[in-house]
Amino acid sequence: MMKTPLLRAIFLGLTVGALEAVANEPAPARPGFNRDIRPILSDACFHCHGPDQNTREAGLRLDVRDDATSATESGAVAIVPGHPEKSEVVRRILSTDEDDRMPPDRSHKSLTPRQKEVLSHWIAQGAEYQNHWAYEPVQRPLVPTPNDHPVDAFIRQRLATENLRAAEEADRVTLIRRATLDLTGLPPALVEVDAFLNDTAPGAWERVIDRLLASPHYGERMAIDWLDAARYADTNGYQVDRDRSLHPWRDWVIQAFNENKRFDQFTLEQLAGDLLPNATVAQRVATGFNRNHMINEEGGVTEEEFLANYTADRVETTATVWLAQTFNCARCHDHKFDPLTQRDFYSLKAFFHNVSEKGAGDYAKPANVSSPPFLPVPGPDLAAKISAIKTDIEQAAPDQSPEGKDRVAALTKSLEEAENAVPVTLVMDDAMPRDTFVLLRGAFDQPGEKVTAATPAIMPPMSDSLPRNRLGLARWLVDPTHPLTARVTVNRYWQMLFGTGLVATAEDFGSQGEPPSHPELLDWLAAEFISSGWDTKAMLRLLVTSATYRQSSKFTPAARARDPDNRLLARGPRFRLPGEFVRDQALAASGLLVTKIGGPSVKPYHPPGLYEQITEGSGTTVYVPGTGEDLHRRSLYTYWKRSVPNPAMMLFDAPFRETCVMRRPRTNTPLQALNLLNDPTYVEASRRLAQRMLLEGGASTSSRLTHGFRLVTARHPRPAEMTILTASLERTLLDFQADQAGAEALLHVGEAPTQPGLNAAELAAYTTVASTLLNLDETVTKE
Amino acid sequence: MHPDPLLHLTRRHFLSRASTGIGAAALASLLQPSLSATPSGVSLPHFAPKAKRVIWLTQAGAPSQLDLFDYKPGLRQRYDQDLPDSVRNGQRVTGMTAGQARFPIAPSVFTFHQHGQAGHWLSELLPHTARLADDLCIIRSMNTEAINHDPAMTMLQTGSQVAGRPSFGSWLAYGLGSENADLPAFVVMISRPSGKGNPQPLHERMWGAGFLSARHQGVRFSPGRDPVLFLANSPGITPERRRAMLDDLAGLNKIKLDDYQDPEIQSRIDQYEMAFRMQSSVPELADLSKEPASVFDRYGPESRKPGTFAANCMLARRLAERGVRFIQLYHRGWDQHSDLPEHIRTQCYDTDQPGAALVEELKERGLLDETLVIWGGEFGRSVYSQGQLTATTYGRDHHPRCFSLWLAGGGIKRGTLIGETDDFSYNVIKDPVPIHDLNATALHLLGIDHTRFTVRHQGRDYRLTDVHGNLIQAAIA
Repeated sequence: MMKTPLLRAIFLGLTVGALEAVANEPAPARPGFNRDIRPILSDACFHCHGPDQNTREAGLRLDVRDDATSATESGAVAIVPGHPEKSEVVRRILSTDEDDRMPPDRSHKSLTPRQKEVLSHWIAQGAEYQNHWAYEPVQRPLVPTPNDHPVDAFIRQRLATENLRAAEEADRVTLIRRATLDLTGLPPALVEVDAFLNDTAPGAWERVIDRLLASPHYGERMAIDWLDAARYADTNGYQVDRDRSLHPWRDWVIQAFNENKRFDQFTLEQLAGDLLPNATVAQRVATGFNRNHMINEEGGVTEEEFLANYTADRVETTATVWLAQTFNCARCHDHKFDPLTQRDFYSLKAFFHNVSEKGAGDYAKPANVSSPPFLPVPGPDLAAKISAIKTDIEQAAPDQSPEGKDRVAALTKSLEEAENAVPVTLVMDDAMPRDTFVLLRGAFDQPGEKVTAATPAIMPPMSDSLPRNRLGLARWLVDPTHPLTARVTVNRYWQMLFGTGLVATAEDFGSQGEPPSHPELLDWLAAEFISSGWDTKAMLRLLVTSATYRQSSKFTPAARARDPDNRLLARGPRFRLPGEFVRDQALAASGLLVTKIGGPSVKPYHPPGLYEQITEGSGTTVYVPGTGEDLHRRSLYTYWKRSVPNPAMMLFDAPFRETCVMRRPRTNTPLQALNLLNDPTYVEASRRLAQRMLLEGGASTSSRLTHGFRLVTARHPRPAEMTILTASLERTLLDFQADQAGAEALLHVGEAPTQPGLNAAELAAYTTVASTLLNLDETVTKE
Repeated sequence: MHPDPLLHLTRRHFLSRASTGIGAAALASLLQPSLSATPSGVSLPHFAPKAKRVIWLTQAGAPSQLDLFDYKPGLRQRYDQDLPDSVRNGQRVTGMTAGQARFPIAPSVFTFHQHGQAGHWLSELLPHTARLADDLCIIRSMNTEAINHDPAMTMLQTGSQVAGRPSFGSWLAYGLGSENADLPAFVVMISRPSGKGNPQPLHERMWGAGFLSARHQGVRFSPGRDPVLFLANSPGITPERRRAMLDDLAGLNKIKLDDYQDPEIQSRIDQYEMAFRMQSSVPELADLSKEPASVFDRYGPESRKPGTFAANCMLARRLAERGVRFIQLYHRGWDQHSDLPEHIRTQCYDTDQPGAALVEELKERGLLDETLVIWGGEFGRSVYSQGQLTATTYGRDHHPRCFSLWLAGGGIKRGTLIGETDDFSYNVIKDPVPIHDLNATALHLLGIDHTRFTVRHQGRDYRLTDVHGNLIQAAIA
């Protein structure tokens, strides 16, 4: 959870923060290697005494017990199990001699007295090592209280040990808004709210969840996170940054989520759909996942250099998304903290190195066909048209008269035109086998040892029966015994709902990542996910039907003091919505949202002149906003130009989509305030929300204000809120009645029409109040 | 009982504090409090700084060192001769010239003169910069790894060719914060060439915050109605209406805060107040109309046109006066693969006079000593001509092995020359300065030890200088 430094300072300074609490606790009587020791050794020692043999000093390796307990080059033994007084490690960490003390000053690392004590205890007790938790097989633990919901059983067991109590259940309105936003990215409709409030029969919540999971908007919501991970964009990136065509892949993702495609199959098709027997067009489209990387079309680039970048990007993205390993660290040298070698990196690269692609794009060619391999994907209309023209040509061909030849020529021309209009999508193939070498220091022009496709040595071996290609790799990843894929995936789902993963570093399950807050729960969920048949909807249903998810998100003094980041979940999640949700919610509440799913990306309102200032050259240099429906589609369809991404989304922490991102920060800035106040998107949405208040909200001021408030927050305003809103409306109304020109100016922002016959001053006043509603903290927050 | 006094801050209390300059929690976000602590617990600065801020005059597209700073009179005799293989030594060139049958030497058509006590050799294209000679530290031995614009500019700005690291300005916004409660810590302004040259495309990533929080990214100021995106109120919304609406909004958010006790709500209330203050502070800053004619004359005729490099240089001075930490200008259009002599003239017309005026004004106002000014691009250009070479024209391809750059103010040793290249301005033969060294030195002048200024990401402690960087001792006063 990202918090501003000042807020963190407040927590640390004025309350007892969780970290500080740990630091002040006495050293554990029986330190565990994974929980207590590895984090210390990894951070302070592994850089020089860890997995990377090229930078290892004094011949000492501390991440492997046999090495750590053997004599080093100097003859000293770093760790003598049972004998801290004989262990060189202990002597050196306690040394007061600056030249002797470890870690050395130049490393800018130091150990706290508590950490020194923990290390000594652990050595005294025998210095037992454990394998890193993330590489150990998933074991399905017993649920502590088998009659409870499994999530609640694990969470409450931990809360009890911390003397914390779970919060009360949130009220139904809060709950339906929370779940609807979480599972569809949209606010609940008022009829849906009312239906839930009136459904007093048992199972009402489950019925809401099942309806949401069946909604076509569920797939759109799930796609947003996946697009970040896959670094999806509509342009190639780098300097030229021309358009590319991968939206058929984006639509495949939405559909796959909506169909609840098993996650193992979802994986197989995206990594290796083209290699499946009798691969369908859709399965080949799915492989666009690994073509989402940037492509350089700048003049004069060295093909080999960028080919090396593209393949490295695939390794890093695949390793992050499925394994949560920071493999990028092993591109130039062995990993400093995790047992991943540079050889492992290039052995993985060999899986992705056989594509009939080019290292450099070619901007002499039309953008959509400059980056092979690609696949034509005609929609049904275009396919029918092409088929019809072909039939016409066949019929006309026998006619060798001049008229007949003319007709064939004309038909051939229209066939070409139609075929050129067919959208393409970038895909993977294995059509150009290449040798793969370790690249010394990661440099594209310094090949070292030749390697063949293989999975990382530290992980379970790849079965001999699997082919050494992307399909084999994908099958290895989704093998039920794989220790990482299921853990990493359920952790992402947890993060999506609770704001922070059980492993907070969702992209790093390595030794420098955070250990899981609830390791048994993580393993139970991973085991459940696998045994359910990798059923994503079932997993989400399981999580949101827990009492833990349904808790009120109000802060309590006890929980805030003990657990400011709410990692123990003594309350429900409360955090700012992603940028896409913020905009989509405003469009939905104002009735402007166009719910059409899929298709080419669209260009909604955009600050004029932005492209011209920043970019120019061979890419798209002018942003031409769309009209009509294009202005009000869901935000995941907004055209994404990497060099100048949509500014509103960037202000709300969307990534550039140049590299794989598994979690977004959540900032709180004045630029976000300016966006919500002044972007024509929100001024227009305020006007149309005002119109709904006037047309649907009944005759009285209070009923109209209540209607608007409910459209945005789902709940009824409280009396104190009503007092402010009413006074605001009355003041604003008088104000605009005295300034018709000002009212008209406000009402002319945005293309969407206003219902004729409405009083301008009144509509302007309601528009101002509607803008207030769209700017509420509660509105931009899931609570 | 509220253990947290900030939750008890009333709006009026907050506003009264904010109006005195240093606001409360508003600073926590876009505006970092000065002297913040990094998560590693190290307080910044590490030692007494010489510079408080940086003005980076980025010349995008890569200016030709051969025609501006790196005087090679001997090349006149080698006009149109082939570059000796022993000089290139098999090093790669870009695909734009790799196919050329020859690499003919193109001596600069411009004359050079020595200037000041320092005796800096400068091209006739830089008459105004020449006046500053004794204030400048010129480095002729800059070098970089990348040979294409995007990776090279990313390297220059972030210390890595690979996208995803924070830019220099973001590091400073994160580490040192802002000195001004009403303006961002890191401001970016971009100008286009007035001539026909190829305006170098840029990329938001270049001032992006990478893995730091997005609130540390550069805030771009544009010419026109909205100097900052979405700053101007909607038509029909007067400042009075905005103020009243924000009061209503704060009242409603306060009710929520009382109910939920989430400090993020207080922070949001504060951010809206900050936004309101920016609505006056930024237009006041961007309004050059009260600057006297004599100032415009100094910056040259282009300074009266909003959005030019000259106008941006005037704004840079105003931002420096107001305590903005990192001010980054980009001037596009230096990528002269052909017709270099013609296009470089207009580039120098755009940049020479305003850049010099900025340094002189800072000096007169006593700000130069505490402001580090850096002028340069992402790499250099080749001694051999790209395309046709004639007596009057030539083009130059990208050249990463050497390029020139100048520094002024902020603890820089005045009138210094660093580094030397071979007779062809091809390879560095003395005191090479990689980009990491430049960044290490700039951080040092700001009171920061570049080896101790780290941020943990993906389990690794990252630095602006990665695992590299040595101070350029000769550049430090």
